[in-house]
Amino acid sequence: MTPKSGSSPARGLALCVAAAAAIVMLDGVMHVLMAQSPFGGPPGGAEPQIGGIVGWLLAKQSEFYREMSSTIRAAKSDGSAVWTLLAISFAYGIFHAAGPGHGKAVISSYLVANQETARRGIALSFASALMQSLVAVAIVAICAWLLNATAATMCGAEKKIEIVSYALIAAFGARLVWIKGGGFIRALQAQQPVPAMALAVHHDHAGHGHDHPHHDHSHVHANVAHHDLEHHHDDHDHGHVHDEHCGHSHGPDPSELAGPGGWRRGFGAIFAVGIRPCSGAILVLVFALAQGLFWAGIAATFVMGLGTAITVAAIAVIAVSAKDLARRLSGGTEGGGALVMRGLEFGAAGLVLLFGVGLLFGYLAAERVTCL
Amino acid sequence: MAMRWWLGLLLLTGVLALAAGAAQAHPHVWITAKSELIYAPDGSLTGVRHAWTFDDMFSTYALQGIETKTKGAYSREELAPLAQTNVESLKEFGFFTFARADGKKEKFQEPVDYFLEYKDAALTLHFILPLKTPMKPKELAVEVFDPAFFIDFKFADKDPVKLVAAPATCQMKFQRPNDGTANAQKLGEQNFLGGDNSNYGAMFANKITVECP
Repeated sequence: MTPKSGSSPARGLALCVAAAAAIVMLDGVMHVLMAQSPFGGPPGGAEPQIGGIVGWLLAKQSEFYREMSSTIRAAKSDGSAVWTLLAISFAYGIFHAAGPGHGKAVISSYLVANQETARRGIALSFASALMQSLVAVAIVAICAWLLNATAATMCGAEKKIEIVSYALIAAFGARLVWIKGGGFIRALQAQQPVPAMALAVHHDHAGHGHDHPHHDHSHVHANVAHHDLEHHHDDHDHGHVHDEHCGHSHGPDPSELAGPGGWRRGFGAIFAVGIRPCSGAILVLVFALAQGLFWAGIAATFVMGLGTAITVAAIAVIAVSAKDLARRLSGGTEGGGALVMRGLEFGAAGLVLLFGVGLLFGYLAAERVTCL
Repeated sequence: MAMRWWLGLLLLTGVLALAAGAAQAHPHVWITAKSELIYAPDGSLTGVRHAWTFDDMFSTYALQGIETKTKGAYSREELAPLAQTNVESLKEFGFFTFARADGKKEKFQEPVDYFLEYKDAALTLHFILPLKTPMKPKELAVEVFDPAFFIDFKFADKDPVKLVAAPATCQMKFQRPNDGTANAQKLGEQNFLGGDNSNYGAMFANKITVECP
């Protein structure tokens, strides 16, 4: 295979095939899951009701949420009710994230797509939840408190932000797919008996062709790089000194989380997910404002975010652990194993894109703000 | 090797799908509904009259930014613009009211006689949905629910549904979503990414059936 004539169409074709495969696989899994109750309860049992874990989560969540309004009212005359409010908000946050919401799905997929640590997963979950809370407070503070805008105006703003958020997730996913597609193709090609020289030339070519995403790519693969000769070679084409450091550190040290490039790496995910506020938080904030207890609403919003972050972080850790397990099961980093891992990362990147597109075009209509 | 390959793949897909599968809706607004089916003197059904009471939190939210003469009191006139916004927004969702007459889907016209009422810290939206053409179906089914389940519809405990001036032979039955009679199996027919996910709320449908032999 000559690098110039073969690589580009081959890459494109393989990308399409892989994307189609990922979609088919995902769709199949969804079908199986959805044919049963969402968490795999008995399909079509004697009592096909809203039961199981989802039903319970929904019921608990509604319970907590509906208690919030009465607690805020109570807090007007009895200050200690604020503590109850915070406790309820915390519980609501935990249950809220355990049930619906695309945030954890996007974050988990992002973590799997990238070679991220569990610790970073936790950091990302907390950062995006914090941003969600901040956006909710900002919307209500500006629209309702400062401008005294109507609910329709506020909800309209919420809807616009929502569309931006979904578009960002789609764009973010597309970028991941592009980057991970490259890694997957290279892993595929590494499977074929290609002369070493040709491979080297080809890799160089790919590296130049995608200068921009490559920057991220090298970061992302840095900590497996030294296991994987192919990638080591590839990544260090344009690698930075910083990568070298990450590549050889095993335990996640703090600089990886907050140091230069640390936050920037995950910022895309934080921003895309965090910019969309939770409708529930906005309702609580407006309600608290109307009761003259805006500060209590703000406190409740942040505590709610804390609860959400804990659940999302737990799911993120599970996703990262599952990937580690998958890596071990698939035989680590030699030949086929590397292909599996690149394939998985590519699939996860595809999921982020699918979520974004699905949310944007309303296939996941379940997650739309309804303005009345 | 191949075995481990698939095992790893399966495991991960499972986790991701679980995370994704849980991406279902949950209510933010609760409505306590009362509905009446209205019949003309000749015995034909003309429309549905709804009275939907919003929960405490949403009522307050909806009233945000509305100026009144007396603080905390909202007259029907002061609430008229909001009622207008409400019915206009509801149009996009088919007024969450889905009718079938003898198995055929029926459409409603624009709502009439709509107004909001504020009482005991709660807003109630009243409106009438006239049928495109009055009819005399042998079997009528009217479902009230939000397919996206952003709104949780619960019918009032007392007098949830009434027939107004219906022929004496007509028999009405009302099913709540949680009494085991609703067709929750609809969930099984869903296709998460196929676009049918929007019908998730059908599990939470309130179903009114009227048989006029």
